[in-house]
Amino acid sequence: MKHADIKDAAEALFNEQRSPFGAFSLSSETHHAVTIPDAVRRCRWVSVDINASAFGLYFVSPSPERARLVPCFDSDYPGIALATKFISGANGEEIVRHTHNSTEPRWWTDDGVEAMAEMFGKLAWTAQISPLAPGTSGIAFPVHADRGQCGLVVFLGSEIALPQDMLYEIHARCFSLFAAVARIRPSDAGRMRAISKRELECLKLTANGNTSEEIARLLKLSVHTANQYLTQSTQKLNAVNRNQAVAKALRLGLIE
Amino acid sequence: MSSSAALLQSDTLGSRLTSRGDLTSFFMELTAEIGADSYMLVAIVHDQDRNDARIVSSNWIFDAIELIGKRLIASLAQGALTVAPGIRPRPLVAAQAPDADGLVSGEEARLLDVLGHAEIYSLRLNVGRQRLFALFSAATAGHIDQPALMKAQLKCCYALSHIPQLIAAAAMQDPLSDRERECLFWVSEGKTTDEVAVILGVSSNTVNSYITHAIQKFAASNRAMAIATAIRSGII
Repeated sequence: MKHADIKDAAEALFNEQRSPFGAFSLSSETHHAVTIPDAVRRCRWVSVDINASAFGLYFVSPSPERARLVPCFDSDYPGIALATKFISGANGEEIVRHTHNSTEPRWWTDDGVEAMAEMFGKLAWTAQISPLAPGTSGIAFPVHADRGQCGLVVFLGSEIALPQDMLYEIHARCFSLFAAVARIRPSDAGRMRAISKRELECLKLTANGNTSEEIARLLKLSVHTANQYLTQSTQKLNAVNRNQAVAKALRLGLIE
Repeated sequence: MSSSAALLQSDTLGSRLTSRGDLTSFFMELTAEIGADSYMLVAIVHDQDRNDARIVSSNWIFDAIELIGKRLIASLAQGALTVAPGIRPRPLVAAQAPDADGLVSGEEARLLDVLGHAEIYSLRLNVGRQRLFALFSAATAGHIDQPALMKAQLKCCYALSHIPQLIAAAAMQDPLSDRERECLFWVSEGKTTDEVAVILGVSSNTVNSYITHAIQKFAASNRAMAIATAIRSGII
């Protein structure tokens, strides 16, 4: 079986670096996912550890109106699995609302395998939802990254084995995986021109509600110069106006 | 490998959490399970340049809170040692301060030690989009069981998910209505009033009034400040 092979390989890889908290340590898995293929590999390891047959990572849109799951990758990477089409389609609304308000995992069963309902039913802290993809069973972990990004890591399968004690570890690994993915995603961070100290000061004051005139007075500049700093930083951040520049600077952690 | 045997008292308490009292029992139980002596659940409220700590629940003695001060508590909760779920935590050890992270001065460290916080772990908790912080500390350094602490971090996130109203009230974090939040989100993406009106299919006046309400609720002076406040508190 292909699945068994992957499991053996992953186990061999992890046996050396197992920490008291399972396959989860300060080594490669926690910090250094720099590309999507890396992230997919890490997600596959998690998936193998709970004996899932498929997985997917989705971004959750911040606006409740466009409640949508945006696929980042799934187990068919670089392709897209059929389940992902369902999950990011019409079925996502309930889980998106849940992810906005709660961090608890949610599971569903629709594959007629009684053992799955029984296994999930025993897990504390979790509850059942309507199936994200028809004819499947699975579990969805809400995840959140530093800059307020929301996401969902989903595992599918009819032979998932997830004891209570492993639930926390798996969810923790989903969190660190998502944090790594969320860091790569804002693609304009890398090729952004450096923003000067003065420009950041002006942006920070803008974020604190100061007008150009006030900024000029506080920093002892002319209004014209203050405006120029703000225009420059807006351009460097690839933003269309000051509001967006402030938002981007905060989300990228350039200002506090 | 039996799965049902692993249920601890904190799991039972936490997954049935409905009231403020339940929250205290849950945290007391969890604190004992990981080998800690004290816990503090903190919400950070951004006020212009300052971060204020709002203590939601805690078993710290009154004098400790008074002497250490909210400002230091805020920087402990949000400092360089604070970890998101899934990252191995690292304690602040009072005996080793002032350390490289520069979180506490020697004087403050001595105070912490005397007051029973020889080691402190700071954890970020994500409760949906809301963000809180938990400090777990022990009177003797090295007492806290790290693997158990990492599990406890997730349990805290789960448990707090049961009482969103209580958390929101304590943290005063998301005062916005869905519509207001949406408008503010689009403005933060650089859209003008007219563009937001098109996106949401309402009139420009309506958009302006949503945004004005959002600005008022945050006691902000303009759009940029309202956006900044919303992003800092993790609302958009």
